[in-house]
Amino acid sequence: MSEPKRLHPIAVLLNIIKSIKELVIPFLLVIVIPGKNEGIPGWIQPLVIAIIVLFLIVHAFIQWLRFTYRMEDGEFRIESGVFVRKKRYIKFDRIHSIDISEGIIQRLFRLVKLNIETAGGAQADAVLSAIRKSEAERINTFISEEKNKKTNGLLEKEIDAGAGNEELANSSSVFKQTLPQLFVMAATSGAVGVFLSGGIAFISQFDEIIPFNRIFKDYEDFIGMGTVILTVFAILGLLVVYVLATLSMVIKYASFTVLKTDEELIISRGLLEKRQLTIPIHKIQGIRIMENFVRKPMGLATVYLEYAGGSMEDKESLSIMLFPLIKKKYLHGKIQEILPVYQTSTKMNSLPRRAFSRYVSRGILYIVPIIGVSVWFFKPWGFLSLLLVPLAGFWAYMRYRDAGWSIEGDLLLLSSCFFSKQTLIMQRSRIQSITYKKSWFQNRKELATISASIKSGVTSRVGRVVDVEEEDCLIIKSWYLPKKAADSQ
Amino acid sequence: MVPENRISNKALTVWKISGLIGCSITWIISIAILVLTIIFDWTYWFFGALIIISIIQAYLTIFLMPSVKWKRWRYEVRNTEIDIQSGIFVIRRTLIPMIRVQHVETKQGPLLRKYDLASVEISTAATMHVIPALDLAEADELRHYISRMASVEEEDV
Repeated sequence: MSEPKRLHPIAVLLNIIKSIKELVIPFLLVIVIPGKNEGIPGWIQPLVIAIIVLFLIVHAFIQWLRFTYRMEDGEFRIESGVFVRKKRYIKFDRIHSIDISEGIIQRLFRLVKLNIETAGGAQADAVLSAIRKSEAERINTFISEEKNKKTNGLLEKEIDAGAGNEELANSSSVFKQTLPQLFVMAATSGAVGVFLSGGIAFISQFDEIIPFNRIFKDYEDFIGMGTVILTVFAILGLLVVYVLATLSMVIKYASFTVLKTDEELIISRGLLEKRQLTIPIHKIQGIRIMENFVRKPMGLATVYLEYAGGSMEDKESLSIMLFPLIKKKYLHGKIQEILPVYQTSTKMNSLPRRAFSRYVSRGILYIVPIIGVSVWFFKPWGFLSLLLVPLAGFWAYMRYRDAGWSIEGDLLLLSSCFFSKQTLIMQRSRIQSITYKKSWFQNRKELATISASIKSGVTSRVGRVVDVEEEDCLIIKSWYLPKKAADSQ
Repeated sequence: MVPENRISNKALTVWKISGLIGCSITWIISIAILVLTIIFDWTYWFFGALIIISIIQAYLTIFLMPSVKWKRWRYEVRNTEIDIQSGIFVIRRTLIPMIRVQHVETKQGPLLRKYDLASVEISTAATMHVIPALDLAEADELRHYISRMASVEEEDV
């Protein structure tokens, strides 16, 4: 298929929308600022706007006209540009994943958006903003066919049929998120954080209301009433925000499904905007299990994939959920089913007892400034902040208990906790470097901080455990080093 | 076992000079504050605090830190891995297997060039590590050696 093709004409509309988004600020400048200037004749403003709109439309149209794509010589070739002609050729080998999504506009016209992602580089990504579904499938199969031809002659016959259905036939659905689970997931996500921090911010307002009361003694009743009404409204407002945030997350992750083919994971989700993400299994660098403080007591966890690819512009491709919400007891079975390489037991080596006091003192160090400030500025009530001390102690205990490491065959597990417990599972061959460091205080207790980096998206993900036994660092180090070197020392 | 090689002892001079440059900024600010204090008849507390800060800064960045840092800095490039130790108050050991190295480069700022030094930057797919201030010849040799040893297999990433 070497003849150049254009996108669906609806791309013109998408181009217009995109440039409007980019031009919002200059647009506002034109519309708002002259509105206050009396000197300029009234007809100038509509004229300027009309010219801009006309320009946008013409620009979008030419953009569409000039944008062609074709596949030849093992490359995906895009030629585009209005003022500057651009030619972007991407080798099939370099393509990491093909991501198909449908925005609202695309859905109206039964089109899809196709994203071609390459390793790391923010530049080389190709976006076909509006093409037919069948065309997207054709591109997808064509590219994977070509790639397989090169890398593996044996797999050829499998994809010979070339239809998208074929691919789905030999894949199996391995994970589905049910709707009730999804609600729990959305309700216990960061939205809770917004809710709680909003609540705390509101309660802290009382400090300001108290001296207020003292000054306007006459209006005490009125202000008292006002406080009650304010409280009710604020709580209602927070509830609304919370419910909205939860609903929007449910919509975003609705019908979350993970499919597994021989070499790829296909993750699809979304109600209004459907997204489909194809991830080659061999690009996966590690697995991250997150348990935030709400989900942890319920035995629930979220699992992310760390994978080398994605682009800077598309933030969502950088942190990919594998399981939005899963019961911890099923987790290891599920991981084994999808990615057998990352099969682990749950046992972790915990930190030595003497590390605990360091966790506590660090936890208290964090809150000393808070206590200092509140005692100093809010004289009688500020002492309430001393209640933070046992809280900090408890928090320190949680972090101490959740920290740990483990080596199982070729896997390194590092877990630590700040507000959420994070467990990073890494293959030895994917770890880019290992660092361990010890401060003077740690040295005295023979403890050290260990960290391991893997590639994730365009940057890196670092697993770090503070205050592990120094000897354990040496164990991890010798596990990590190539065998020959370890023997020769 | 600590890594064998130290970095060039000219690094000490370079660090002291860059410490001096950092301090001169604080001194300029202090002088400006002094002038303003005299003109606008401010309290001298502020100026006094600045003087104390700049003295402490001078001691730390010109005398103490460069020598501790230099003593601490060790590296060793073996056949299969690179081992780096650095740090001032916190000792940091980093291990980079040769097969993970993506590329190596040497770099020279104006200050390093004056003393015929160069720093070596080692990049993996996810991280970057720097060995600062080696003799130029040694740095070039190291760069060649690492890039020869780091025959990165066409692995993913």
